[in-house]
Amino acid sequence: MSVKFIPVQWNQNKWLYDAVLLVGVGAFLWVFLYITPETLSHEHPINPQIHNARAFGACAFVMLTVVLCIGPLVRLDARFLPLLYNRRHFGVLTAMVAMTHAGFILGWYFAFSPTERVQALFQANTSYGQIAGFPFEIFGVVALVILLVLAATSHDFWLKFLTPPLWKRLHMGIYVAYAAVVAHVALGILQDQQNVAVPLLFLGGAAVVAGLHLWAALADRGGARPQAADWLQVCDAHDIADGRARIAELPNGDRVAVFRHGQSLSAIANACAHQNGPLGEGRILDCLVTCPWHGFQYDVTNGRSPAPFTEKVPTYNLRLEGAQVLVDPRANAPGTPVPPLSVAHLEQT
Amino acid sequence: MAVSFLITWAMTLWLAIGALVAVPFLLWGLDRIDPDADGAYVFRPLLVPGVLLIWPLVLWRWRVLAVGREDEMARCRPNRGAHRPIAIILPVVLAVTMIFGLAARQHWPSDIAPVQVSRP
Repeated sequence: MSVKFIPVQWNQNKWLYDAVLLVGVGAFLWVFLYITPETLSHEHPINPQIHNARAFGACAFVMLTVVLCIGPLVRLDARFLPLLYNRRHFGVLTAMVAMTHAGFILGWYFAFSPTERVQALFQANTSYGQIAGFPFEIFGVVALVILLVLAATSHDFWLKFLTPPLWKRLHMGIYVAYAAVVAHVALGILQDQQNVAVPLLFLGGAAVVAGLHLWAALADRGGARPQAADWLQVCDAHDIADGRARIAELPNGDRVAVFRHGQSLSAIANACAHQNGPLGEGRILDCLVTCPWHGFQYDVTNGRSPAPFTEKVPTYNLRLEGAQVLVDPRANAPGTPVPPLSVAHLEQT
Repeated sequence: MAVSFLITWAMTLWLAIGALVAVPFLLWGLDRIDPDADGAYVFRPLLVPGVLLIWPLVLWRWRVLAVGREDEMARCRPNRGAHRPIAIILPVVLAVTMIFGLAARQHWPSDIAPVQVSRP
């Protein structure tokens, strides 16, 4: 959270995350370039440009695979949340590695003709009507452009400027990029019949991404959306642990998080104003609901971030029927104060 | 030749228009639509690549915010509905792509000695 935008909001966790990332990338490149030439069929003489291009290309594919696994892993198990915290830096580094791969390719395969390099890339092979010999480079170009757009719009400013839902739609381009990368590899290096390790790495990575997304979708099926009503039943008040929330789906598809703070209940929208993280999966720290994704905080009684921060989320009205908690599905405007609903009398019975 | 020239020309034109948008947006527009950007200048160079690449979206959002037509409630409505279709379509696309890739693998004599290639 920041009052004024700054280039990067560094903290200890981000330093550590980025350090692990850089060490991981460095280790992958070192292993690829110097440790495993026989496994990767590089015992045959190839020049440094091709060797480097393959190393950075493989590294970008592995990084993109890991990035895409983070989302479903977090939905399946909250212990993976630390991986999500600085995922955007992971994405930016992936775009840089992919760019380096493209640089080595352009600097070797398209560098020795009078035609400008990028133009040569588009005209060197135009056999778009066949699978064997298809100009697979075009898939790499598509993926690289998408990765660059995502990296260029990764700053918090873009989240606020575009709004989290629109920013998310834009960043769902990562799936198109991954499909393009898989096509780039399948019609490119995978055609190398002699090489075993790279196809295994590639097929395994793509299978893990596909499998995790399917698994997370099946695990998050949820129930049927409730019918429209004036008040919706959420749960028994005793079922909400102190400092925690129960999440309920509303007839319009929105989700509300009903928090318990001591002897009172309050309800706010489940989506954080920063990146639409699930507030209801967070907990109350220092009297403030804390988003499990990036730590943005809100006063649960008015949906506002503590001053001087300005983020706001919608609030909801609550009432009790016996011990049952009911929520009014009509959201209040973001930042609207709602008096907490006391449940102290329930504790005495 | 003509198509490749057109592609590179279109890419250059796109980025040039983005540069024309970036100058007024980052120097003046930003301060008027976002209080958090008012007086904050060090982070603005980081936004240049984004404006160059998605300038139509920038122009649209700039106008929405400048005329005060922003729907505050929309900020907290995540598009969760997209996850399920993606979880189904992505594995299908990946599987089909891999099948095509494996089916098209070429066979050639493996006993031909490789030749060192070098820069001409």
